[in-house]
Amino acid sequence: MKQNRPLARAATWFDLKAAPYFLVSPYFILFAIFGLFPLGFTVWVSLHDWELAGDREWIGLQNYTDLVLDPDFWNSVVNTLGMFVMATVPQLLLALMLANALNKRMRFRLLFRLGVLVPMVTSIVAVAVVFGQLFARDYGAFNWLLGTDGLDWKAEKLTSWTAISVMVDWRWAGYNALIYLAAMQAIPRDLYEAASIDGASSRRQFWQITIPMLKPAIIFTTLTSTIGGLSLFTEPVMFAQGDVGGGSLGQFQTIAMYMYEMAFREREYGYASAVAWMLFLLIVLVSLVSFLFTRRIGGTK
Amino acid sequence: MKFSRKTAAFAAVLAGVLVAGTACGGSDDENASGGDITLTVDTFGAFGYEELFTQYEAAHPGIKIEHRNEKEHEKVYVPKLLQYLETGSGAGDVVALEEGVLTSLRGQADKFIDFNGYGGAELEANFIKWKYDLGKSLDGKSLMALGTDVGGLAMCYRTDLFEKAGLPTERDEVSKLWPTWADYSATGAKFQDKVADTKFVDGPAALYNAILSQEAPKNGNYTYFDNAGAYVADKNPAVKTAFDTVNGLKDLSAGLKAFTPEWQTGFKKDSFATMACPAWMLGVIKENSGDAYAGKWDVASVPGGGGNWGGSYLAVPKQSEHPKEAAELAEFLTSPESQIAAFKAVNALPTSPQALADPQVADAKNDYFNDAPVGKIFAAGASTLQPVQLGVENVSVRTVFEDILIAIGQGQLSAGEGWTKAIEDGRKKSE
Amino acid sequence: MKDNLPKATVLTRIALGFALILSAFPIYWMFIIATRGNDVVGQVPPPLLPGGNLGENLERLWDMRDANFVLGLTNSAIIATTVTVSVVVLSSLAGFAFAKLRFKGRDGLLVTVLLTMAVPLQQMGIIPLYIMMVKLGWTDQLQAVILPFLVNAFGVFFMRQYAEQAIPDELIEAARVDGCSTLRIYWSIVLPALRPAIAVLGLLTFMQTWNEFIWPMAVLTQSNPTVQLSLSNLNGAHFQDYTLVFTGTALATLPLIVIFILFGRQIVGGIMEGAVK
Repeated sequence: MKQNRPLARAATWFDLKAAPYFLVSPYFILFAIFGLFPLGFTVWVSLHDWELAGDREWIGLQNYTDLVLDPDFWNSVVNTLGMFVMATVPQLLLALMLANALNKRMRFRLLFRLGVLVPMVTSIVAVAVVFGQLFARDYGAFNWLLGTDGLDWKAEKLTSWTAISVMVDWRWAGYNALIYLAAMQAIPRDLYEAASIDGASSRRQFWQITIPMLKPAIIFTTLTSTIGGLSLFTEPVMFAQGDVGGGSLGQFQTIAMYMYEMAFREREYGYASAVAWMLFLLIVLVSLVSFLFTRRIGGTK
Repeated sequence: MKFSRKTAAFAAVLAGVLVAGTACGGSDDENASGGDITLTVDTFGAFGYEELFTQYEAAHPGIKIEHRNEKEHEKVYVPKLLQYLETGSGAGDVVALEEGVLTSLRGQADKFIDFNGYGGAELEANFIKWKYDLGKSLDGKSLMALGTDVGGLAMCYRTDLFEKAGLPTERDEVSKLWPTWADYSATGAKFQDKVADTKFVDGPAALYNAILSQEAPKNGNYTYFDNAGAYVADKNPAVKTAFDTVNGLKDLSAGLKAFTPEWQTGFKKDSFATMACPAWMLGVIKENSGDAYAGKWDVASVPGGGGNWGGSYLAVPKQSEHPKEAAELAEFLTSPESQIAAFKAVNALPTSPQALADPQVADAKNDYFNDAPVGKIFAAGASTLQPVQLGVENVSVRTVFEDILIAIGQGQLSAGEGWTKAIEDGRKKSE
Repeated sequence: MKDNLPKATVLTRIALGFALILSAFPIYWMFIIATRGNDVVGQVPPPLLPGGNLGENLERLWDMRDANFVLGLTNSAIIATTVTVSVVVLSSLAGFAFAKLRFKGRDGLLVTVLLTMAVPLQQMGIIPLYIMMVKLGWTDQLQAVILPFLVNAFGVFFMRQYAEQAIPDELIEAARVDGCSTLRIYWSIVLPALRPAIAVLGLLTFMQTWNEFIWPMAVLTQSNPTVQLSLSNLNGAHFQDYTLVFTGTALATLPLIVIFILFGRQIVGGIMEGAVK
């Protein structure tokens, strides 16, 4: 159809120019409504004494100044950071060892890989229910195993953090191990062969070659663990059977729990929004620190 | 067209999902024009209404009742309820309000229907006077809530464990063991010498609230807030006495937090041998202990001589789509006959003079509690019970004190530190 | 994956076997308890073999009106399916565009996506989202849970990474020469090529949505819960009846375990593929 050609060409030109935007726009529109807008609106809410019923009063930065002086908030910050360290460091080390063990020749390789991933499949709620029973004070299997009869895991900061960290570690160690494993398999073999010829022991090879080559994967897992760890919520909530208070004195109340408590239990939406922003800042801060820290691992090449 | 079938299948899936996603599986399956009506009833703890619901559904075809029960009151039930009231949706058509919660809501009559518009005024004779009056808004114009029960106090104990400890087991003998809290404590020490695996008391909360309700009448009849609404927890001897008495019993206590899962488990594990029992607690004990413990519990008098803790009301939130039907249901549930039924089911002590005088209540024995004459123990004194002035923020302050008592029991705080912290945190909550 | 890897020592095998047991035991135990009666509560050592009470436990779970377990399962299935379809479709569209099409502002937009990947949105924006849903009158309704999850940055990024190497540019060029429109190319070339990535992203999204907790907890009530909320309520109300609670957890985990058994290989592959890039 000759006479249609300019039209067709115009259509093609339009298709080339506009189609990409058409393809990416659903994502950006939905993200703007349900991601970006709430994020910005949080700032707006945090500058008010906000009530749902309609009374709201502009109070500027007062929520933030109150927050800085709020011992309960700082308590939740300490708990969050404490559990983050307790859960992340052993978890990533464990993942490294697991990955190293999996990176060998053996039968049933896939079975092992599937096996270590099973915990990630279970819902956090289910994990916490099961572990909550294992850590129970009066007849829990852990007290029986460890001979610590009648130990109340929920009563103290250290014990409750331990219990919660165990849940987090158990769930994520396998997943991170697979990521390390993938990175290990991408390391060129001849590096090791050359090192073997130079007489480097396998332990030394691990520290001199494997770890530095894993750096991107380590940075990636550290960042995801940071984001996940600092917004820890479900495990400690379920550990207290659905109570966001985190123990009798808030000994394991995380920042996310404190935010939830302020918003949905005390109905202080403005104050809770201020907590949300502080959490965000903390995540950015800790991510930066752990990024700089992990970047230095294994020296510079 | 290789992928047209796939496209079609995909579109079908998407359409199906979208339809399913918009047709909500909520409880709002009613249509205004005379179809089935579902009434949602929100309760906490044990109210003993199951049979009454069945009865009501049978007598009112076209009405279905959905019962939502939360075990935990202060930290789960109350915050949710307040949230629903504030957002104007989500609350049940009929909601149970504990006395302290009702007190905190009496200034917000606009959130509830006025029973006066549904014949509530004619019901006055069905309630003890103060109970009826407390159900009115602060300005007295609106009848916001109808009373369900009052909370006369007793002390429940495990006869089998007492026998093990070489203590008397017969209830009058047991009552003689502890005219005062000091005697109670001494008995506890004896008990624990003999029975190694069981603590004497369940935990601080029931004990503390019981003692507080006994001490308040001696100190102006208020607790954390005086009659002008000022925060006086630090000045009121009643609070200090209750706090110190409970801490004095720390070593005899299993340290369990009331209404938590661990506490509920404690009943089946012989974790404790006694607990302070407002009338409604009997239903809770029975529910948590199960049939295996029938006849092992009994009821003696409480040390320190009686008191009134708790008791509840029913109200209908304004947001209910069926205010008329909901009001009728609430009136049915609080009628003298229903109060008798609830008393039989879970020992909820009636607040209706007619029900209290009824032989079914006055002469009642509770077979689960070793045939204890619960009518005599509780109902006899019910008409003389007086309410304690509570104050608007009493629930949050009470929660603070209960939590800190737990923490002292866990050894996280000394009693002195705990007191200072409780006073301060309570003040924060009350502002 | 070459077999010039060092052979696993006995010690390594033992350690791995131990890790496997540790990983699987809690889940195994959950299923075991779901088949037992309440006589095992507090039994030491804990029972390790299945009993015959599964049917009875399921019946009790079904009759437990305050947990609304069946409704929770249904709701979770609806939510997770809707979200999965949406995420997969929208991510593959955007991922394809970012990987293979040239347009103004492309790199800037991609960086935006990457940046938002680092924000835990569900927790950051939860309060305004809640206020939004209250204003719309959508609290306690499923769309309130579904809407915020319809897209996610990780999905777009994941799809872009995969599309980058899975779709040869020549193929697209050839299709253009044949006069195919962009959408047509997406249908007939991109989608089939992305199939493995779609499977992995779909499975991961489904699992993640199925396990979501904080947002449903804020916006839904007990009478219209997700399965995780039913579980939480069940655990709160019937903690001491833990065979019942474990029956619930086992049921709530079962769909994911089934998916895992069927597609485990792809999921492992997907996680490892995504990690290298």
